Amino acid sequence: MAPLFEGITHILTPIPFLLVGLGTFLGIIGGAIPGITGAMMIALTLPLTFNMIPGNALALLIGMYVGAISGGLITATLMRMPGTPAAVMTTFDGYPMARAGQPGRALGFGIAASFVGGIISWIFLVLVSEPLSDLATRFGPFEYFTLVVMAMVLIASVSQGSMVKGLLSGALGMLVAMPGVDPAAGGFPRLTWDVLYLNGGLGLLPVLIGVFAVSQLIADIVDIDRTIERTKFSTKGILMSFKDWKNQAWNMLRSSVIGTWIGILPGIGANIGSIVAYTTAKNMSKTPEKFGTGSEEGIVASESANNATIGGALIPLIAMGIPGSVIDAILIGALMIHAIQPGPTLFLNNPEIVYAMISACLLANIMMYGIMTSSVGKIAQLMFTPRAYVLPPILVFCVIGSFALNNLFFDVWVMLGFGIFGYFLERSKVPLGPFVIGFVLAPIAESKLRSGLMMTDGDFSPVVTRPLPLIFVIISIILLFWPFYQDWKKARNNNAKG
Amino acid sequence: MKSLTTSLMIAVGLGILMAAPVQAAWPEKPVKVIVPFKPGGSSDQTARTFQKAIVDNNLMSQKLTIVNVGGHYTIGSRQVLEAKPDGYTFLLIHKALMGAQGAGMIDFGYADFEPVAETSEFCLLSCVRKGDKRFTDVNSLLKMATDKPDSLIFGANLGALNHMAGIQLQNTTPGANFRFVQIGGGTANFTALIGEQTDTTVLSMAEYLNFKVKGVKGLCYMFPTRAPDAPEVPTCEEAGLGKLVYCVGSWWFAPKGTPKEAVDGLADVLAKAMETDYVQTMLKKKAMAPTFTRGAAFAKKLDATYKIVEPTAKQAGQKKKK
Repeated sequence: MAPLFEGITHILTPIPFLLVGLGTFLGIIGGAIPGITGAMMIALTLPLTFNMIPGNALALLIGMYVGAISGGLITATLMRMPGTPAAVMTTFDGYPMARAGQPGRALGFGIAASFVGGIISWIFLVLVSEPLSDLATRFGPFEYFTLVVMAMVLIASVSQGSMVKGLLSGALGMLVAMPGVDPAAGGFPRLTWDVLYLNGGLGLLPVLIGVFAVSQLIADIVDIDRTIERTKFSTKGILMSFKDWKNQAWNMLRSSVIGTWIGILPGIGANIGSIVAYTTAKNMSKTPEKFGTGSEEGIVASESANNATIGGALIPLIAMGIPGSVIDAILIGALMIHAIQPGPTLFLNNPEIVYAMISACLLANIMMYGIMTSSVGKIAQLMFTPRAYVLPPILVFCVIGSFALNNLFFDVWVMLGFGIFGYFLERSKVPLGPFVIGFVLAPIAESKLRSGLMMTDGDFSPVVTRPLPLIFVIISIILLFWPFYQDWKKARNNNAKG
Repeated sequence: MKSLTTSLMIAVGLGILMAAPVQAAWPEKPVKVIVPFKPGGSSDQTARTFQKAIVDNNLMSQKLTIVNVGGHYTIGSRQVLEAKPDGYTFLLIHKALMGAQGAGMIDFGYADFEPVAETSEFCLLSCVRKGDKRFTDVNSLLKMATDKPDSLIFGANLGALNHMAGIQLQNTTPGANFRFVQIGGGTANFTALIGEQTDTTVLSMAEYLNFKVKGVKGLCYMFPTRAPDAPEVPTCEEAGLGKLVYCVGSWWFAPKGTPKEAVDGLADVLAKAMETDYVQTMLKKKAMAPTFTRGAAFAKKLDATYKIVEPTAKQAGQKKKK
């Protein structure tokens, strides 16, 4: 416990404290503005942290993570438009309640639920990360390989749209990770077509900025005249009453635990967490018919779960170096840019970074609650800034951000290329999440598998003869075929009825 | 006609006047050093240590700017190779360049640059897990690698520095043969070692000092003398492995054809920077040896190093094709 208190004391010193506050504040605003997602903001902020010490950089980014996931609820509630994808489920009940004349109360539920979700998952983060990292130091290459495979199947199978499109997206991400110097065979370039710039592979940052930020900018520009619905705003009811707390306590706890668990699962994060918690709350509710018409339970379930995924998703990141969500994939990039090797020995080698991250997560949740309850009205005003003013500076940031890490203009072209690519993927309803997870995880999967094969002299059998890999493989197979089985069952039932 | 001659003469005279100081007064604009690695890596830290020493002690009349060129190190190296040899672009790199050259990965090499100087070097140690009773010293490690060839797992970054060091280690004992497995750099190898996925690896002195309390045992140090911070580890020569030395120096190069005054000018500045307390303290902190060579001595050292690296790099490359 002592290092945790040290971490908390450190985060309360002026600079880290201000950075977490700044991150949270900017995150809330970015999260609230439709078209700016948490992943995009964090990818864009990353280049600005090059000169910070790693602990401060992570504190800023984690503040932003918490803020962005939380800020989405403002837009979801007042404009029926999720400020970030994580707030989709909040629109179903937040907006109807706001329309019915209780915008303050709707926001109050969302903010309080976000706070509770964040805190509960933080407790799990503190309790679970270190034991899990101890366990993970025993993980051999086959354990890692199968775990990563499971993560990739998992995100493909639960992302929006069809399973096939999810898998396609993941496969494209893996393909994009392939060019460059071979990670495991004496450093020879492959798939580079003699383009020297490809020796280092396609950079994480330009690809991420392209796929998340530039593609979204293109979409926003194409759709620049979109009008938005809005409701009148008042802060009445922003603080939840004692009775409401009492009524929602069980729902909050359950949804937070669901969110934390979904967060821990590698690769998937806030969007899925909030969908699962919402569906569960609806199924267990005494008044399921109220869901979608302004149900308090719906807002609470969605918002406590999406914030709970943050702490949950940080667990595999800290304990194993495996991203628990798409944003965590960017945080892994942040660690690597600061020359810190993510993985099970992070606790051993960089405890100060680990506790800076954990403490920042706690502080950001508290600050989020303070900022949101005190100034949600002013933040809501910002959403009506014409996008024509917002988009050009963001594009400038994209270019600077892509260029800054490697000082190579090639990276800017990569960014633009992937921006166009991401835009068309989205238009074709191919989800971007699996793409990024595939891109980030493929090199891990490849190098672990090849290390393993070198150790066993080409023998694949540990994938099924060792207990943990076997479990991961079985889960992957089930996840892969489950949607097809469901379709088949549905078709059969329809046939039987028809 | 006369006035034309006069003006021409004045022009020529001015030209000479202008040209002379250009030659003498290198540098007359900021000097750019390309570090072909990401910010924060060991080469970048070395470059920035020298930069700070140069600025703080006013060792150069112009600024020294450091440009990190990321991606693969061959990208930044080629940028310098192709840069204008005007004395304002330099490269800071290490042995990896020779590895890529020896393995045939790039079509240029150290000899295509003007050698400026070597400032400091770090050396590697052969390491095993603390508490691994099979290995009391480096000889027991090599004996097992001889008795059971291709069974002891050596964690390395294939084709890179630690792999080549491992090959040199096994080459000291005829018949010794490790199974080199792709693990990665120092931290990854430490993790794999204490997680019992690998049997042995090599670490830099700084890594060893960081990891030794966490479960790593050094068997021998690939340097002629014991390290002041780790007197418990014998040198490989003391352990009976002959003159096994494996160090990675920070090498400063200029594009071929760079004027001699610029090459010497930078070497002078670096020599002065080496002597500052700041550089000395930083080197001590990073457990690096304060080596400094320049000019003909440096060129000779490069040639000698390449004689060892080339066959090792080929050996490292062949292993992969197996």
